Amino acid sequence: MSELETVDPLITETANRLFGELCTHEAIQAAEDQGDAPEIWAAFAETGFPWISLPEAAGGSGGTLLDALEVLRLVGYHAAPIPAAETGMLGGWLLTSGGLELPEGIVTVASDHSLTIGDAGKVSGTASMVPWGRSAERLAFVADGKVASVPVAAATVVEQRALSGEPRDTLTFDATAADVADAPSGIDDESLRFRGALSRVAMMGGAIEKMSQLTVSYTNERQQFGRPIARFQAVQAHLVWAAQDAALGRMAAESAGHAAYRGDGRFEIAAAKLNCNQAATRATKACHQAHGAMGMTQEYPLHHYSRRLWTWRTEYGGTSEWSRWVGAAAAEAGADGLYPLITGGSAA
Amino acid sequence: MRFTPTELTADELALQAEVRAFLAEELPPGSHEPGLGMSARHDKAFSKKMAERGWVGMALPTEWGGHARTAVDRFIVVEEMLRWGAPVGYHWVADRQTGAVINKFGNDEQRARFLPQICAGELGFSIGMSEPDSGSDLASVSTRADRDDGGWIVNGTKIWTSNAHTNDWFICLLRTTPLEEGGNKREGLSQVLIDIHNTPGLELGPIPFLNGEHHFNEVSFTDVFVPDENVVGQAGMGWNQNTTEMAYERGGPDRWLSPFSTVEQLLRETSGTELGDRALELFGELTARWWGIRNLSLSVARLIDAGEAPSVESSLVKEMGTRYEVELIEKLVEFVDDELTLDSESLFRRLLSQCVLTGPGNTIRGGTIEILRSVASKGLQGLPA
Repeated sequence: MSELETVDPLITETANRLFGELCTHEAIQAAEDQGDAPEIWAAFAETGFPWISLPEAAGGSGGTLLDALEVLRLVGYHAAPIPAAETGMLGGWLLTSGGLELPEGIVTVASDHSLTIGDAGKVSGTASMVPWGRSAERLAFVADGKVASVPVAAATVVEQRALSGEPRDTLTFDATAADVADAPSGIDDESLRFRGALSRVAMMGGAIEKMSQLTVSYTNERQQFGRPIARFQAVQAHLVWAAQDAALGRMAAESAGHAAYRGDGRFEIAAAKLNCNQAATRATKACHQAHGAMGMTQEYPLHHYSRRLWTWRTEYGGTSEWSRWVGAAAAEAGADGLYPLITGGSAA
Repeated sequence: MRFTPTELTADELALQAEVRAFLAEELPPGSHEPGLGMSARHDKAFSKKMAERGWVGMALPTEWGGHARTAVDRFIVVEEMLRWGAPVGYHWVADRQTGAVINKFGNDEQRARFLPQICAGELGFSIGMSEPDSGSDLASVSTRADRDDGGWIVNGTKIWTSNAHTNDWFICLLRTTPLEEGGNKREGLSQVLIDIHNTPGLELGPIPFLNGEHHFNEVSFTDVFVPDENVVGQAGMGWNQNTTEMAYERGGPDRWLSPFSTVEQLLRETSGTELGDRALELFGELTARWWGIRNLSLSVARLIDAGEAPSVESSLVKEMGTRYEVELIEKLVEFVDDELTLDSESLFRRLLSQCVLTGPGNTIRGGTIEILRSVASKGLQGLPA
């Protein structure tokens, strides 16, 4: 068979162990209450994981995009409350692509903003829904053919939270001195949107899988009418549907990762985001229903995954946006090209 | 359970290109009335042409006329045929499962008798599982075989037997050891091969489909003699053999491609017009979903080639695939939002009409989705099936 590039099992093992130890139910809850998780971030940064896929010469940790996506899958699987995607494959990617300095601390990224770069590299404007804006050292963004790195310390920060409880802040700058460089070809808002979507599907694939596993074990423990509720066919249907969406989500994410690693990959990323958005909708519904009232409480961990999925579902493009994008690709392929598009994707 | 992403090799892509070129030459769009995936027309001449290319009995051994190809190679040929709506009906069942069952459980004499003909596309098989009182509870079949000199005497009735009137042979699950009070009904069952058209005591009649079409049959046996050489594998082990056979039915492209020719035709008939957001969203969703499901289904074929028996995975894919087929048909009807007729001048509307009428069968045939969920959920919980 055609051998796809694999991820070093040591990355999976190490990240799994690290997050397994750090991201306990209590620690995730504490991060939500405090609005950040400095201890988890410090331990994560210690391993060099945040900077995987960024070139070593630029201060990154080396490794491939697939390695970075595997770490993000585990961020999703463990609901790790940290800006891993923003610091590495999104913000860090923007900065290193323009040859800008990679800071030691957290980098976040503006995907929804009105930021402009004025004379002498002074940045003004507002960026909304910025992940962990309050904790970041630099904000990376792309505008007008330039990539920029702005010190967050100079921003006015309005703290907000996503449905997940994680920080999504509003940052306003007024003529803040920034590091600015010409954006190389292929680095623009559109490529950031695709790359952002790829980061989200990786995490979503992990989170749906965890939610599905959690639901199998809960329904085997929870007894009603004298037997585990997993014995009831009506409950089994939810288990099967969640497992299908876990499989579909992870398959979509990993297939998109391979396509993006090898080439353009835009069709696969779009199709994966659409699949993961819809899989998240169905799977959160199935898993919550199977958990009953217990899943509606803060004391039980299901919400760490379901709320993150509801957040990631609309970040970097919701279902309508991506379905129109894929639909346009299908229309362009035409009747004779539709199946070749499904089998060959971006390469077709 | 693990579905691993995979891609086609250069050789596999070459096979895909070869099949596409064959179809473009044999059945150019507009030259034929496409079928709905596996609900394909029966065309013996087409089956023969495919066999000449080596595309029937692909996974069977070469010594019996097969081609010793992989499950993925067969997947590639099948997905192209089905999405094209090609008339693969005549050899469909023999190619997908009966050949594999005879090869796996039969003896050399049976292999020599049946496999070369199957691989030549010259032998159509029907499946005798359901009975008036046995559907999802298949182990309760009551068609019985009593011991006789050199064989068995069979009495009973099989129903909903697809295409028995156009096929040649029949693989039939029946009870060879009477069930004792409180006994295990999965024991004492056997699989036998019966010639549909040349067997005294066998009667065949149509059970009209809801739209009047002749698809289903009732096959009844009155003191039908079945010689020992027609028993597949070990008498009494039919349940396990049948379970293996059912696994061949699951998770392949036939479980998610049924409405593809309909969608392709919609795209053909809207070509040149500006598509609104609603159309783009519909095409986008179905394209993405097919991409995702196909990746899962292809990974199951890889697992089979790796020597694994992915029964949970294939049940999950079949349940998901057939449910999606039905959902998609509903979306297409809402999208068109006008009066459908099988006599429409529009091929798309004719196909969609057929989809609506036959769609409910998609989540029933070859094991209802309720049974599939039960199989899959036991697997998820680590319980025996």
